[in-house]
Amino acid sequence: MTVNQNELLSALVDGELQDSELDSVLQLLHTNEQARNQLQRYQRASDVLNDHNLSHHQIDLTDRISAALQNEAEFTVSTASKKSAQIITFPTQFWKQAASMAVAASIGALAVVGVMTQPQNQIIQNPQMASVEVETSPMVIAQTGKRWTVEEQEVEERLNSYLVDHNEYAGASGVFSYARVVSYDLGQ
Amino acid sequence: MKKVFQIVLSCSALLLSPNIFADTEAMQVLERMGVVAKQLNYDGIFSYQTGNKLQSIRIIHRADQQGEVERLISLNGVAREVIRTNDMVTCIYPEGKPVQENHRPLGRGFPTDLLRRLSSAAAYYQTSLGKEERVAAHHTQEIVVTPVDNYRYGYSLWVDKENDLLLQSDLLDDQGNVLESFSFSSVSMGLDIPEQSLKPEMQGNEMSWNRTEHGMNAVKMVPKHNSRWQVTWLPEGFNLVTQQNRFKARNGAAVEQQVYSDGLSSVSIFFEKIRARHSHLHGSSKMGAANAFGTIMNAHFITVVGEVPSRTVDKMGNSIRYSESE
Repeated sequence: MTVNQNELLSALVDGELQDSELDSVLQLLHTNEQARNQLQRYQRASDVLNDHNLSHHQIDLTDRISAALQNEAEFTVSTASKKSAQIITFPTQFWKQAASMAVAASIGALAVVGVMTQPQNQIIQNPQMASVEVETSPMVIAQTGKRWTVEEQEVEERLNSYLVDHNEYAGASGVFSYARVVSYDLGQ
Repeated sequence: MKKVFQIVLSCSALLLSPNIFADTEAMQVLERMGVVAKQLNYDGIFSYQTGNKLQSIRIIHRADQQGEVERLISLNGVAREVIRTNDMVTCIYPEGKPVQENHRPLGRGFPTDLLRRLSSAAAYYQTSLGKEERVAAHHTQEIVVTPVDNYRYGYSLWVDKENDLLLQSDLLDDQGNVLESFSFSSVSMGLDIPEQSLKPEMQGNEMSWNRTEHGMNAVKMVPKHNSRWQVTWLPEGFNLVTQQNRFKARNGAAVEQQVYSDGLSSVSIFFEKIRARHSHLHGSSKMGAANAFGTIMNAHFITVVGEVPSRTVDKMGNSIRYSESE
């Protein structure tokens, strides 16, 4: 998998591909199992990042995509564009309907999506970084919420302030303190 | 014959106690990990995930004769950069976003002191080798850190088998659920890092401070015994490690903070004098792996906060007593 292929897959999930790129990525999915797996991870990551609750059940979209591809009599530019629109929209809608289930996500894929959706970052321009493939095990993070379970904003702000003070002076759990504070105001 | 018997007995004991070997080897891995984190050049992306919150961060770390320089760039959410040198931490926020004085990254850098912390907490955690897995396309060895009771959390650490860099760390509750995780998705090690890669690219508000200073608030250290507040129950191994008074810049309130730790896990208790009619937490609350317990006592907001199970903060909070005499 090259960086360009990863970018195409990410763009496919975001529904941003034009005709020729669409053809390329569909051809890639048709022939490359790794690409199909990557697409599945990106789709999960996209839903997590968009706050859609997902299932940790392994719903194999790649089989459905493959089946859809195989059902095509001929893979031509004109028919591919038409068919591909269905293929693209299907996973998104499908995952949205699975909103009541728990999350399963590949941490690695999540990070890559984070990178690719940030135009200002330059990671993909670094050839050494770009050559590293991302392939990590799926992980379920306990859904404990990203805000304090309190009603009033005043109380929440006080707890946030205390937590930062705690992290700074206590070192908290050591391993996580740095990332925790660096990411402190995500979503605020 | 007696000597042979002693040898057989020793061998049997070792065979029956595989953790003796595992612990030693696991501690050696952690020791190497601590050294490598300070000495290795690396450039990678790690994700930090808690609950449904995900932050991707690029980290560039260079070590040479001048010491360490580390640059972190948040890749999603609020854009910002953190540059850490030997003594200085600079946080750069986007233009137009006010610098909030309580948004301070730690000066501790990427975790390097785990072995020291774990060594001092050795009686309360069991450390052993786990399985081998791939993380960020590297072969890693898992180190499992399991607490002896359910008043603290455990860890799973994945360390690169070739370079000994920590590539993934999970915080685990007593059911084995992952509460927080940070994990490299890609990383390059041992490469030359040009000076330009360590320069900030963002234009915005900068805030710098010396790592040896404690933040931006006025902090007054007080003798540990000089407090009217007493915590009468602590998890085994927890001791008072820091006690300080500070004044909150936002409302000028005086706040006493007591920090208790077993060396690895820690809990802070805040005693804030009530200056006006305000609301406060009553009972328990949680966010990610952090738990809090709040109550009001003697015209003070009492808040217990830490990355420990809720039962720990609840029990500590309910054991707090106020003494009229210091």
